[in-house]
Amino acid sequence: MTDPDTTQPRTLPFLKAWDNYVAASQILFERLSDGSAAHAGGPMPLSFIGPWKDFAASLGMRSDFPGGEHFKPEDLFGSHLPAFGYSREYQEIGRRMQDLAAQFQRRCAEFAQQGVDIGQSALQAIQKRSSGDPTMLCSPAALYDAWIDGAEEAYARAAHSEPFVRLLADLCNILSAFKIERGKLLEALARHLDWPSRAEVDSLHRQVRVLTAAAKPAAPAKPAAATKPAAATKPAAATKAAAAARKARPAILKARKRAGK
Amino acid sequence: MQERGQSALRALREIGDVQVGLSDKTCVYAEDKIQLHRYAPLARPAKLPPLLICYAMVNRPYMLDLQPDRSLIRELLFLGVDVYLLDWGYPDGADRFTPLEEYICGYLGRCVDFVLAENAADALNLLGVCQGGTMSLCYAALEPRGIANLITMVSPVDFKTPENLLSKWAQHVDVDLLTQSGNVSGELLNLVYLALMPFRLTQQKYVNLLQMQGDRAQLENFMRMEKWIFDSPDQPARAFREFVQWFFQENRLVRGELMLDGRQVLLENIKSPVLNIFAANDHLVPPSASIALGAHVGCDDYEALQVDVGHIGMYVSGKARKTVPEAITRWLLKRKP
Repeated sequence: MTDPDTTQPRTLPFLKAWDNYVAASQILFERLSDGSAAHAGGPMPLSFIGPWKDFAASLGMRSDFPGGEHFKPEDLFGSHLPAFGYSREYQEIGRRMQDLAAQFQRRCAEFAQQGVDIGQSALQAIQKRSSGDPTMLCSPAALYDAWIDGAEEAYARAAHSEPFVRLLADLCNILSAFKIERGKLLEALARHLDWPSRAEVDSLHRQVRVLTAAAKPAAPAKPAAATKPAAATKPAAATKAAAAARKARPAILKARKRAGK
Repeated sequence: MQERGQSALRALREIGDVQVGLSDKTCVYAEDKIQLHRYAPLARPAKLPPLLICYAMVNRPYMLDLQPDRSLIRELLFLGVDVYLLDWGYPDGADRFTPLEEYICGYLGRCVDFVLAENAADALNLLGVCQGGTMSLCYAALEPRGIANLITMVSPVDFKTPENLLSKWAQHVDVDLLTQSGNVSGELLNLVYLALMPFRLTQQKYVNLLQMQGDRAQLENFMRMEKWIFDSPDQPARAFREFVQWFFQENRLVRGELMLDGRQVLLENIKSPVLNIFAANDHLVPPSASIALGAHVGCDDYEALQVDVGHIGMYVSGKARKTVPEAITRWLLKRKP
């Protein structure tokens, strides 16, 4: 491919960007291979990120990568860069937690605004009431009670509204999702430390549930006669059942004691 | 004002730990976390079938026996009622996969069986309180033959009435997500309850402490209530999820679409007499949520009793104390077999 004006080979933008990127990377590798320079401390030259960004942009990729000299490791969790590499799974979790935290902050701000609106409505209600009853302002207790009444009324109006209901549900759902992501990290930590993890305990609980359900029909405190109305109408059977239950009682209490309850 | 505050603080320091649930009782049956208590009689028996009280899972049942002079249970005992109380205990991680039907058809069912057997009786009287009332309705609809009379107290039935703020808030909550990481903490529930009336419950109530002026008895009452309010057990994840989805979000009970233990729960199957007690100023279970029961049960003998108190006042207020135990006993005596 040539430039029609000069007949010189034209440098395509992506090739130029690639050259710059390679040059920047070379500096980085030289620095890394030079042990004495590495031990001397100082920041790693991250200037290769800028050329990489230009190169990616020349290929039509997104150019809003948060790179350059101002690159911060936490930016890896930013929503623009896909997770990759050895720690990919943890990056994903971290990014989701960061997203959720941001969402929570936004919704909290809206919630706080709702609180301000409710406060203003309450104040207006008090002003209205006090103009009709000037004695209210003479007593701090009366004023305080009026404030509480006004605030509760204003709050109740807001609390029943659809935006408030949605907001509250959003806050709850975001926190639930955050808790799940946090649980994944704790799960991994437990695995690394060889501690019993939540998943492991859950699995055991499920097994116990199945075994308990299988064993329940044989529970001593459920005398058969008592569950059958036909049998219960016969006094002898009922008395027998009651005796069986009384007999079973010490065993149950004993079992409880053994279990440390 | 400052003097009053200091006086209240001094008195609070002297009070220390408060005692609750002091009436004499014996644990007669226990299974996993649940305990069934039988109360010692305080009067000549009224010769009624035993009364089994099924309390809510979301709070502790000692609210019904908070202190000697504020005790629904004690009043019932004085009237000669033989009282059993089902205590759900404090669920933990081992209970996170326990389904709601296990609590209703399993634990509650086995407690009913036990009481019947211990008394050699065909049927008992069942009193369900708050969420425990909803659970009792489900049980009575599935196993009507063991229930002589059913009493519900501040119990939600129709979960989608316009006044029900708790239900409105629950509609868009992703309960699958909420319960995916385990049991739902009691602290979260407390936060939700406080959020229903935040100014009264987080501010005014404590300012009112100052007005008690160091009155020891009043402060002790206050501290007992405070203990109960914040002593909320964690909720077992699966049962909680099912309760919120099926009752709050889908309102299955009044729609006749609830399935438990592979059976359809139909309120019309409840043929035993029903007494429905509700609080006129209930901010947790609005009267409309309870009153709906009358339109759904299948019995001819249905009675509703409105008490002019709030949800908590139903257990501890002087007004409720004077009327409710006596109304229950009178109603039961009229239907004595």
